[in-house]
Amino acid sequence: MSHEIDAILLEDTLLNLDELARSCQVSREWVVERVQWGLLLDEDSSNTDPTAWLFDSRSFIRIKRIIAVERDFECNPELAGLVADMIEEIELLRTRLKATKPNED
Amino acid sequence: MEFKDYYKTLGVSRDATAEEIKKAFRRLARKYHPDVSKETDAEHKMKEVNEANAVLSDPEKRAAYDQLGQQGFQAGSDFQPPPGWDAGFEFSGRGSNGAQAADFSDFFAELFGKQMGGGARQTHHRMRGEDHHAKIMLDLEDTYHGATRSLTLRMPKLDNQGRTVLAAHTLNVRIPKGVHAGQIIRLAGQGGPGHAGEAAGDLFLEVHFKPHSRYRIENKDVYATLPAAPWEAALGATIKIPVPDGLVEVRVPENSQSGRKLRLKGRGIPAATPGDLYLVLEVVLPPATTPKQREFYQTMAQELAFNPRQNLGV
Repeated sequence: MSHEIDAILLEDTLLNLDELARSCQVSREWVVERVQWGLLLDEDSSNTDPTAWLFDSRSFIRIKRIIAVERDFECNPELAGLVADMIEEIELLRTRLKATKPNED
Repeated sequence: MEFKDYYKTLGVSRDATAEEIKKAFRRLARKYHPDVSKETDAEHKMKEVNEANAVLSDPEKRAAYDQLGQQGFQAGSDFQPPPGWDAGFEFSGRGSNGAQAADFSDFFAELFGKQMGGGARQTHHRMRGEDHHAKIMLDLEDTYHGATRSLTLRMPKLDNQGRTVLAAHTLNVRIPKGVHAGQIIRLAGQGGPGHAGEAAGDLFLEVHFKPHSRYRIENKDVYATLPAAPWEAALGATIKIPVPDGLVEVRVPENSQSGRKLRLKGRGIPAATPGDLYLVLEVVLPPATTPKQREFYQTMAQELAFNPRQNLGV
């Protein structure tokens, strides 16, 4: 196959609730619960209409982490959310460390 | 095709209970968690562990797999499934969604391919194809200039006999300019095939950058070292330096020290709101090897009366 395919940034075509749930193979309710529990999106979103929610790259990566942790360890969603928070924090610190200390890869 | 010993992968005995398998899987899932593991090749090992667990945690798949084990197959031995090996089993597909199954081995696909995305079982229903998720490694230059990258993925597809096999699928992807790490790019219609006339799924790629010898990246900001001679840093100078999008002249203010960050606004990753480029000054000393060079340093020592440890009280 030699033709070129255009890649679109997710930020240019944000996912709605149904698209996100389908893509990650979880139910719509599964996502709604986690947003309402404050594990996805920001706190303010939990009281808004789910049909208006939009998910960006960061939410997409985060939800996949939460799914994997809940599934692999059969743990409760809050714990999976905590793990996701910590992974995000580690990533940020590692990136910062690499950016400022070039010789410590 | 090699026979895979799933018991060995999880480090459990053949008569392990479901609880023992679960525990072994969780221990390894923690050890090889791709986001935190320090093990080399953690991502690949995690895939193997997931695959072994998908079989051994499912009673039906495990029973069918055990039947093969009794026929004398061992890890690494050449393997073709004997005809009718799976007669009497109806795999439920539990624990292996399509997105995961695309990561599994040919061995898994051959044995349990029937429930992977695109399986014959599903073709009677009108159903949109599954979305697939993967990662893509880019060079920093790709995001500055835009680029076409070739990407090879293994995807489940139906062969001539209607069986599901994993086939290599190469895509030439036009990378949008300004993409940065942690972003997802979407390729419409490049996921799993749709069934009964429905649309194919999409492919979502998580963007990562390969380490670069000169540049470090933090989100949209880019960092590089700016080597400078002591007199350039002390007296101030205009220095020419290559940056990802060309050559720039930067003004180093006088009395600069190593570690000083010079910000070139908007010269980082060219996203919708561009990042900044930071040049971190590194003062490089000329060698003191010849008598003349040494004499020069001695003169500095005498003339400058400089104590770099003054604030340490010595």
